[in-house]
Amino acid sequence: MFEIAATDKGVIVFSGRLDAAQCAKAEAFLATAADPREFDFAALEYVSSAGLGVLLKAHKRLMGSGGRLRLINVNNHIFDIFRFSGFDQLFEVQRTGD
Amino acid sequence: MNDAAGHDSGGLSLEKLRCILEVTRDLARPFDLSTMLYAVVDAAKELLDAEGGTVWQYHAASNELEMRVARGLDAIRIPADRGIVGECVRTLAPINVPDCYADPRFNRDVDRSTGQRTRCMLTLPLVGYDDQLVGVLQVVNRRDGIFDADDEAVAAALAAQCAVALQRVQMTERLVSSEKLRQEISVAREVQMGTLPKAPPIVPGYDFAGLFQPTDDTGGDTYDFVACDDGRVFVLMGDATGHGIGPALSATQVRAMLRVALRLGASLDDVFRHINDQLVADLSEDRFVTAFLGQLDPGSHELHYHSGGQGPLLHFRAADHSCEFHPPTTFPMGAITLPALKPAAIAPLALGDVFALVSDGVYEYEDADGKQFGEQGVANVLRQYHDRPMPYLLGRLMDALSEFGRGAPQLDDVTVVLIRRLPERDPVLGDDLFAADLRSDVEGRRMRQSFARSYDSLVDIFGFIQRALAVDGIGAEARYAIEFTVEELFTNMVKYNPEGTGEIELAIEHAGGELICQLSDPDSGYFDVTAAPDADVNAPAEQRRPGGLGLHLIRRLVDSVAYDYSGRRSMITFRKTLGSI
Repeated sequence: MFEIAATDKGVIVFSGRLDAAQCAKAEAFLATAADPREFDFAALEYVSSAGLGVLLKAHKRLMGSGGRLRLINVNNHIFDIFRFSGFDQLFEVQRTGD
Repeated sequence: MNDAAGHDSGGLSLEKLRCILEVTRDLARPFDLSTMLYAVVDAAKELLDAEGGTVWQYHAASNELEMRVARGLDAIRIPADRGIVGECVRTLAPINVPDCYADPRFNRDVDRSTGQRTRCMLTLPLVGYDDQLVGVLQVVNRRDGIFDADDEAVAAALAAQCAVALQRVQMTERLVSSEKLRQEISVAREVQMGTLPKAPPIVPGYDFAGLFQPTDDTGGDTYDFVACDDGRVFVLMGDATGHGIGPALSATQVRAMLRVALRLGASLDDVFRHINDQLVADLSEDRFVTAFLGQLDPGSHELHYHSGGQGPLLHFRAADHSCEFHPPTTFPMGAITLPALKPAAIAPLALGDVFALVSDGVYEYEDADGKQFGEQGVANVLRQYHDRPMPYLLGRLMDALSEFGRGAPQLDDVTVVLIRRLPERDPVLGDDLFAADLRSDVEGRRMRQSFARSYDSLVDIFGFIQRALAVDGIGAEARYAIEFTVEELFTNMVKYNPEGTGEIELAIEHAGGELICQLSDPDSGYFDVTAAPDADVNAPAEQRRPGGLGLHLIRRLVDSVAYDYSGRRSMITFRKTLGSI
């Protein structure tokens, strides 16, 4: 199951599993969100490479306005994926408990 | 001899200059070769007030000149070392001859074949931008008198423009024709590959694999498995002499004849004899097809076969790990009509034995120093992997070949057919272990399940992985790696082969402290995803494409990824060593 929602402070909360079948849902939400720049991954268990594509797209959009994506509460497994892919150099990534 | 190029344009009238410029502009249009040649000749005739004109195209390979333009006349080819035109080829200088029949260099053969009489003649080399001779421009019979120094200057200016334009058109046409040929070959290849068996037959107690990997040209190899209603399985491997479309058609024809013969209930001997005799009738005298045709009886475990020029045939004996090499039993198919056929040879297959049909392309596979892979190379791989699934063994044989070759180009088709009689209770392939247990908690168990070719299957796939990994000792890190890798490989199979038929199977085995996962697409082209280049993970965001990343990550998450291809089946096997946690 995958859910995506925005808090009243504008933080986008991801939960569940972001796999290839869920990317369209995430993209549709992010396309209409007001200013998606901070993503809370505390409840996100899994991101696949298709999910990384969604994040990259969101980041590129932000770069247009000089912004940078910030990911918070990232679990260790997802953090490893960011590290292996070099995405930790693109986004600001904060691990769980950091 | 006047050097026309030495004239400065001051010698040309404004009118002539304007004409040359106009022609030049016309020549820059995208013409085909014939139109271009006509345009050049027409321009030359008009500018020089000549009765006739010719463009000779120069063929360096044969050192010949070809005249494709002389309106209403056939093309003529002459050696490029004769006559006035020959001297122009040799000296690359213009030649002005006021009276041809008084000039000993004049080749009267051309007049004889055209039926015209040449009075005077101006001959100019057409030299391309790279200083290579493209052809020769000749104008003949000035309407009022002979060609003068002014004419030479005009002709030289025109020739320079024509040469470059002609060269451009020639190059374009060569490109177009090579592209056409390439497309035709690729269609032939597609037809040929389409006749290969989609999957090896399923016969209790046996395991099969087959592979055909052609060289860049369409190769002349083929193989086939035909399972008959009575349980017999026919196995064909053939190699038609030569390369290109012809042999590919012969190989495909052999396979078609086999299929028809078996539908008509023919016996092994009859099939072999009739296909042979038909090929004798059909093929030209210097063509033949080496072919192995065998009939496996899974009841008696005997493989009866005729091998027309196909060998060595390898029989691996599981009892003592020996490899026997058998020679062909008869002439290649299509060589001569067979008056009487010797009785079929018989190979009795004991438990665990492997019978391997391996094409010359494998035995004679050469490394950069010209050393051959040889019978020992094949035997070594067989000894090492004989107890693994045959498609896996096939993959290792291909690995061994490419490692042996170290980048040396593949010179011949590579075709391999493997037949293995399974041991009584195979730890991996025994039927009783195929029951898809819902929960596995004993090491050494293997679970498998098939999934529809759709992203919607991911939910079920993750459910399956969860059940398969619900074992003590498999931590969250390994689970994440397996899930990530399976999703990446599965979605690739869906994305790149949406037309494939049949479900994609996932098998997970937990053995010897590692997880072995296998994704298998039963109907796909050859696409080795593991050979894709690694992504650049240090690139800035704007240069990144999400697509290239998956494999890069997989290589870091799991310990090995291997690709196997057999029939139409693509199989990707990856392994993950389990840590101490």
